[in-house]
Amino acid sequence: MRRVIRMGYHSLEAVKRVLRTGMGHCQGRGCLRLIARLIQEETGIPASEQKLPRPRPPLKPLPLGLLGAFEDEERSSKDQVRING
Amino acid sequence: MRSTADVVVIGAGVIGAATGYYLAKRGLKVLVLERDFPCSGSTGRCIGGIRAQFSHDLTIRVMMESVRMFRGLSDELGEDVEWYSGGYLFLAFDEKRKQAFSDAIAIQMRYGLDVRFVLPDECEKIAPGLDPTGLIGGAYCPTDGQANPFKVTYGYLEGIKRMGGGLVAGCEVKQVNRVGDKVVSVTDAKGHDYACNMVLNAAGCWADEVGAMAGVKVPVTADRHESLVTEAVERVFNPMLVDYRSDGCYFVQHSGTGHFIGCYTPVPLVPGHDVEVTEEFITEMPRRMVRLVPKLAGVKVLRQWAGSYEMSPDGNPLCGETSVRGFYVSSGMSGHGFMFGPALGRLMAEQMVDGRASIPLDEFFLSRSFGKAEAMK
Ligand SMILES: Cc1cc2nc3c(=O)[nH]c(=O)nc-3n(C[C@H](O)[C@H](O)[C@H](O)COP(=O)(O)OP(=O)(O)OC[C@H]3O[C@@H](n4cnc5c(N)ncnc54)[C@H](O)[C@@H]3O)c2cc1C
Ligand code: FES
Repeated sequence: MRRVIRMGYHSLEAVKRVLRTGMGHCQGRGCLRLIARLIQEETGIPASEQKLPRPRPPLKPLPLGLLGAFEDEERSSKDQVRING
Repeated sequence: MRSTADVVVIGAGVIGAATGYYLAKRGLKVLVLERDFPCSGSTGRCIGGIRAQFSHDLTIRVMMESVRMFRGLSDELGEDVEWYSGGYLFLAFDEKRKQAFSDAIAIQMRYGLDVRFVLPDECEKIAPGLDPTGLIGGAYCPTDGQANPFKVTYGYLEGIKRMGGGLVAGCEVKQVNRVGDKVVSVTDAKGHDYACNMVLNAAGCWADEVGAMAGVKVPVTADRHESLVTEAVERVFNPMLVDYRSDGCYFVQHSGTGHFIGCYTPVPLVPGHDVEVTEEFITEMPRRMVRLVPKLAGVKVLRQWAGSYEMSPDGNPLCGETSVRGFYVSSGMSGHGFMFGPALGRLMAEQMVDGRASIPLDEFFLSRSFGKAEAMK
């Protein structure tokens, strides 16, 4: 991350476009503050003045079947794929 | 303040980055000017699909060249662009669609594309877990694939820098200046001038605004497309699945990470630059995905977002020199700008340097009259 910031990517949005930071399971809720601090250390731009990437739904990860309101229990329960650890 | 370059490229999406790279390779000094940061436009919102299955001759030829270039792109750029040849499977649920695919396949085969119409049982083999209800077959090309739009764009931009060119982020072009009918420079929002011989308008869905700065009409309109990504799961299948029904969708599993990523084209279309997301999409898209592949029901959605397609009147790119000498455009990719990137970038560089591309681009020229629309949008 420090290498990318030193390449000239000086905002959370710009770093996100290179490294996909904040695009995983926590959706940035945990990690973005830490990344803002790294940017502050490397560039001097105070973390409190850095613009956060636009939050996007869902607030927490939700299953496709639930969002798509599948009522057919059998269809959505049998033979499901395994989640990567 | 004043800088000089041979070519000023406006926009650091995949089109500006790729074209700039091949111009730099021809020995020109290239400066890419970007209003925000690289990939802040449509390129950073794209789902990374690459295919040669189209209905328009020139599009098929250019995309076949792009696929060829994607195969060698990691070596060319010294950056793993995550090219993966997982294929594309277009699904037909009625005779009319089947006919349209068969017609397109006949054209594609003339150019030597490895493509065929497959029956439902083979569709299920290609995409295990696909529910074949109502399916009458599909158009399948195993050499289509996917790559990472960020890696590709940054790879090209770093290449431009290595060859002595540059990227200026946070630089909004406000004026395109000419003397007589010839472009001479551009001016940014801070009043900085960039003198040059040629300007490339690669401003994506804002190419109309940039064109207007030189008095050139670029008939590009923005259409909103929403998208979502799921958590990473075990490998389910390789191809991009495309369901063209009015309540269909298209999605693919990322080859490296295992995330599913996909979108659909809303009916009716949603014109404008607004990239807000909707509740309709985050309930409709899962419904459509699980209908096609029921065993995905338990897979969780991480995020939804939206971006713009930069649409041209006929769904084909708008390229070439404009009525202002030295002022070029490459936009109007109509949902396919990422996959067009490598080949169209190189061909446009040839067009700009040699006055003619090795695959002639006349049918994409801005000056054409707009006829038949692309059937495999
Ligand atoms: C949800 C979604 C999914 C997609 N999926 C695919 C896919 O699978 N495969 C595919 O091939 N394509 C796909 N696309 C389409 C693809 O993303 C676009 O066609 C492509 O990214 C266009 O690239 P571009 O460089 O022309 O435009 P952009 O990436 O939009 O770049 C244009 C740049 O110009 C800058 N700019 C604008 N005005 C100015 C100015 N005045 N001064 C300086 N800079 C300026 C902008 O900030 C922007 O960064 C998808 C698009 C969306 C929205
Ligand atoms: S999104 Fe991965 S740790 Fe925050």
